Amino acid sequence: MSTQGGVQYSKIAEIKGPLVVVDGVDSAAFDELVEIQTTDGERRLGKVLEVGNGKAIVQVFEGTTGLSVSGTSAKFMGKVMEMPVSEEVLGRVFDGLGRPIDGLPDPIASKFLDINGEPMNPEQREYPRDFIQTGVSVIDGMLTLVRGQKLPIFSGSGMSHNILAAQIARQASVVGTTDEFAVVFAAIGVQYSEAEYFKRSLEESGALKRSVLFLNLADDPAIERIITPRVALTVAEYLAYDLGMHVLVILTDMTNYAEALREISAAREEVPGRKGYPGYLYTDLSTIYERAGRLHGRKGSVTQMPILTMPSDDITHPIPDLTGYITEGQIVLGRDLFRQGVYPPVNILMSLSRIMKDGIGEGRTRVDHQEISNQNYDAYSRSQEVRALAGIVGKAGLTGVDLKYLEVGDSFEKDFLTQAVDENRTIEETLSLQWKVVSFLPKNELTKVKDKFIEQYYKER
Amino acid sequence: MGSDSALEQTIEKITHNTEEQILSNLKEALKSSQDTLSNSQVSLEQEYDRIISEGKKEAEKLEKQIVGNADLDSRNKQLVLIEESIEQVFDKAIKKIQDADRNSDYSKLISSMLEESIRTIGTSDIIIQTNSKDKSVVQSLLSKFPGATLSQDTIDCLGGIKVQSKDGTMKFDNTIDAKLERLKPLIRKDIASKFGR
Repeated sequence: MSTQGGVQYSKIAEIKGPLVVVDGVDSAAFDELVEIQTTDGERRLGKVLEVGNGKAIVQVFEGTTGLSVSGTSAKFMGKVMEMPVSEEVLGRVFDGLGRPIDGLPDPIASKFLDINGEPMNPEQREYPRDFIQTGVSVIDGMLTLVRGQKLPIFSGSGMSHNILAAQIARQASVVGTTDEFAVVFAAIGVQYSEAEYFKRSLEESGALKRSVLFLNLADDPAIERIITPRVALTVAEYLAYDLGMHVLVILTDMTNYAEALREISAAREEVPGRKGYPGYLYTDLSTIYERAGRLHGRKGSVTQMPILTMPSDDITHPIPDLTGYITEGQIVLGRDLFRQGVYPPVNILMSLSRIMKDGIGEGRTRVDHQEISNQNYDAYSRSQEVRALAGIVGKAGLTGVDLKYLEVGDSFEKDFLTQAVDENRTIEETLSLQWKVVSFLPKNELTKVKDKFIEQYYKER
Repeated sequence: MGSDSALEQTIEKITHNTEEQILSNLKEALKSSQDTLSNSQVSLEQEYDRIISEGKKEAEKLEKQIVGNADLDSRNKQLVLIEESIEQVFDKAIKKIQDADRNSDYSKLISSMLEESIRTIGTSDIIIQTNSKDKSVVQSLLSKFPGATLSQDTIDCLGGIKVQSKDGTMKFDNTIDAKLERLKPLIRKDIASKFGR
């Protein structure tokens, strides 16, 4: 932490959107923290975006509403934005800039860390392995989350992604090890009621003790949203690599983050890319998503579960599109399932966990996990085809096996997918349900699983 | 007599048949009851296991909730107490600084603050502001800093100086108050470590 004070400049050339242009500056640094002071003594934080020709462009996190060119001054702090970290941050609630909002004092810091993090040396990265149990069957069984992975949830406006996020935050754990587990939850531009729900949900389940909450509300300045995921990840990295914990970071909603980025880009008069987002959206998102992983010689891990709402449920929109390039799979929530009242409404046919295979199986979950998961994919996919066919020719026109697949589809959605909001299923329970679903089929239809597993787990229904 | 014997034989036959039928029915009923009993025992045991396992899960959940919240409550109370103690230490330290003698060591401190301010602002053409207590100390040092002038207005602070460029575009706060504010997170850590944190 820098202890040097900074110079205060009172020559403001221009205020434009969330940006303040300060004149006569000759020694500012890129990303340097700036304290903007208004005429009535109010202080706001910002950071330097550009320096040159005696000018500095400052992005004000709390917005520029109420600022005027005369009377406003900018104090360059001589340091980048830092987050004080220690074990005491667990169980605490912060705002989007990392300031406590739970009525307790600032945490006594063990370290002050740059919120932009340090780039991970690719050579030092360890391949993500080992299973994180979320207690949600469809994720644990078919889209398994692996320690160190980045697995986003693609949702749509009004769907139950936040309820699912809170459930995962409450229930997530690492099984078969005594290693400590923590959840860092960053809410970006959420409504007050949603923020209260997250907080209450963790408090009431006793999970707040091992969690850290960052809440940037919908009525907080949009620019603050640029900082929220970064302070959250800084805390996660400290807990993981300094304290050896396995940390799950849930970021909701990354669409609000991208909107804030677009706002700044427009104010800087940059050439817009697709849908007005800046051309560097991919690079910027990667500076967040790539902060997940494991390091050689370090005990902990940072696993990310960013949640984003796809505008008009459009999976080709730049935000889900570019996110998909960086992350290792995606969990897609389906509007049809949501309308049918299925919770969680995960459309498994559009979802995938790319590195699931390395986190499951013997010694991690159960030896038949991969095969029974494949069989469920296959059977559910076939059931969807049969449903479409039944819509044309009617049930009377279907064969006996087709009718069995219809039953599989119904059972998959009713018994396996559907789960209560407070229902925490173990991996054993999840795998049993997967066997229960495919047990509607005759044995000869089970082509993805070995005979020995059929003998062990299949019970014809 | 002959007809009586035939009647008796018929009655006996009917009685025997009925008895056999009743016995067979009883055997079947017994077997069916035993089957039902053994079947329901399996489902009863399954139901029993399910109830016990759900009860265990619920108990674990409640335990986690109660223990977690209690741990957090006690930790938070501890944090508040530590913070109160840190504030007390700060208050005492501030009082000590306020009452400090403006001796030669203090004069050296102000001199180094002036050097630092000029270096940071990048010009020696500055106006210096200070509190009434430090005015004479600053005045005595002015000769070492050509271009620097002392403002007649005083400021409210524990000690130290505030400087601004003569064109008024740049300011640097080098008061003890500003230094304390900047260093507070580090000082808090040091104080907390004395309390075993």
